[in-house]
Amino acid sequence: MNIQWKKKTIFIYGMILFCILVSILFVQNNFYLYEQPIAKVVEATMTDEKETIDSFENKDQLFQQQLVGEIKNGEQQGQQILLENQYSLSGAADHEFQVGDIVFVTIQRNEETNLAGSIDGPKRDIYVVIAAWFFILIVLLIGRKSGLFSIISLVVNVLVLIIAMNYYTSLEDVDLWLICGGLVIFFTVFSLLLVSGNNEKTHAAIIATLAGTFSSLVIAYAVIALTAGEGLRYEEMAFITRNPQSIFLASLLVGSLGAAMDIAITITSSLYELNDKNNAISLKDLKTSGREIGKDIMGTMANVLFFAYVSGSIPMILLYLKNGMAVNYTLTMNLSLELTRALVGSIGIVMTIPISIYTATYFIRKRRAVK
Amino acid sequence: MNVLILLALILFVLMKVVGGEKGTRSFTALFFNFGIILMTVILMTDQAINPIFITIIACTLISCVNLFYINRFNFKSVTAFVSTIITLVLLIMVIFIIVDRSKIQGFGIEEIEELLSFSFYLGIDFGKIAICTIIMGTIGAVTDTAISISSAMNEIYLHNPTLDRYHLFKSGMNVGKDILGTTTNTLFFAFIGGYLALIIWFKDLGYSFGEVVNSKVFSSEVISIFYTGAGAILIIPITAGLTAYSLVKYKKI
Repeated sequence: MNIQWKKKTIFIYGMILFCILVSILFVQNNFYLYEQPIAKVVEATMTDEKETIDSFENKDQLFQQQLVGEIKNGEQQGQQILLENQYSLSGAADHEFQVGDIVFVTIQRNEETNLAGSIDGPKRDIYVVIAAWFFILIVLLIGRKSGLFSIISLVVNVLVLIIAMNYYTSLEDVDLWLICGGLVIFFTVFSLLLVSGNNEKTHAAIIATLAGTFSSLVIAYAVIALTAGEGLRYEEMAFITRNPQSIFLASLLVGSLGAAMDIAITITSSLYELNDKNNAISLKDLKTSGREIGKDIMGTMANVLFFAYVSGSIPMILLYLKNGMAVNYTLTMNLSLELTRALVGSIGIVMTIPISIYTATYFIRKRRAVK
Repeated sequence: MNVLILLALILFVLMKVVGGEKGTRSFTALFFNFGIILMTVILMTDQAINPIFITIIACTLISCVNLFYINRFNFKSVTAFVSTIITLVLLIMVIFIIVDRSKIQGFGIEEIEELLSFSFYLGIDFGKIAICTIIMGTIGAVTDTAISISSAMNEIYLHNPTLDRYHLFKSGMNVGKDILGTTTNTLFFAFIGGYLALIIWFKDLGYSFGEVVNSKVFSSEVISIFYTGAGAILIIPITAGLTAYSLVKYKKI
């Protein structure tokens, strides 16, 4: 049996390794899929170097690069192209290119043999694939079967989200609220059923998660309505084609969901565990234990959200500060929405604790009454 | 009244009611951490100091707040702390190699178009800043997982003091497997929430799949999610191993 088990493991890991190799080879050679010309840098020479000082006394170095690239797709495949590139030491809005880098180009001049053009940006798909595999491998190696389940649930959730967003953007008069509400219910039911099976415990966790998430949203909505949204800078949302407030509220709903799920499943399964180990435990003791667990996890959970949201704004804050903006203005412009997300998520976390305790003990009491 | 202040007040009241004294500490910890992040960013504007060095110091301080202030200084929090630091160093090494090659630092073309009045030649190495951003994004999840595993293992050892290192490690990993799914979920939905606008924006502007994947705004975000998640999971075996080792070595009951 042991040998069989080993064979099976070797087979599974072999399959994974095979998938990794195939996908990386594919992404390295998928030039034909792109319409835009792609070039591989075969020669790079620095032509100029100068120091700059901007109006805020920031010193930087600018470099001028001349590159020769070999076109990888389209009609000009195999031809060489001359490319110019300017980059800075800080690289906030530009890149240095080296031999071997693969870039998207726009061909500007087309004289018999010599092509010339400009670089639009590096081809990054390979790095997305590598990062994805790195994550998947770590999850599988450490989590084994439960790792596999969480990857399945992530993949399905992403696919459903993309389909829903396709649907939303293709239709004119659909409410984002309705779609996100539906999505949240689907995400919760699907993820929790997959992780802990179809049983009473899972049902309790699903109810607690949904109640916690939606009540945190009600609080957020009430606060924004009460204060008329004072202090929220929607102009910070750079990527906006629609009404920012409705997109922001929808994003609050989805953003709080994960943490609420985490709390609900942790508390519910601990209470069921206690009940299974000792059937005589009183409901009051169960509630006390639930509160103790809740106290232990809420602080660090709030921090998970806080750092996940705030850290993404660091580059933008640096840009503002270095451009001579006042600290106060920089922070309100860059953090008001992120902090609101973190706060609403944390409110969701804390609200979910008593709700989970209540639903779990309610189900346990009902089960005992039947017996 | 300001939205943020009102929300913070509500959070404080809720934390105090549900969590008592520990709830109050959890709330103040958020403030300390906010202060630490602010200090970090302000120090990063000084180009003489390596931002990665600042980030490591900041993360050490943040772990101190999350572990020693919220949970008090004890055996559990010390093992969680050491595991956190080991994980961070490992993670920085891995991220360093990949972020440098994938050119995801700084701002995407789409963002630059909105920031035309800004100067981008600032003398700060934005490649290093990108690494710092990922590390800072994961620190909350890393400390959270570390303390959960080390305190669960402590409980297990307390009830079964005869367990050897291997079996302790095993049960630590079992606890970790349960946490893994929910932690990745928390991070995943937080990011989805944060970038819902971006997803709709890409759709509205009719970006093709290839354009989305290769754009800096998208790829930098996705690559960050993957490394942030990887960090939050990498901590599991490290904490389980370290706690198993030190429980048997130092805590003979």
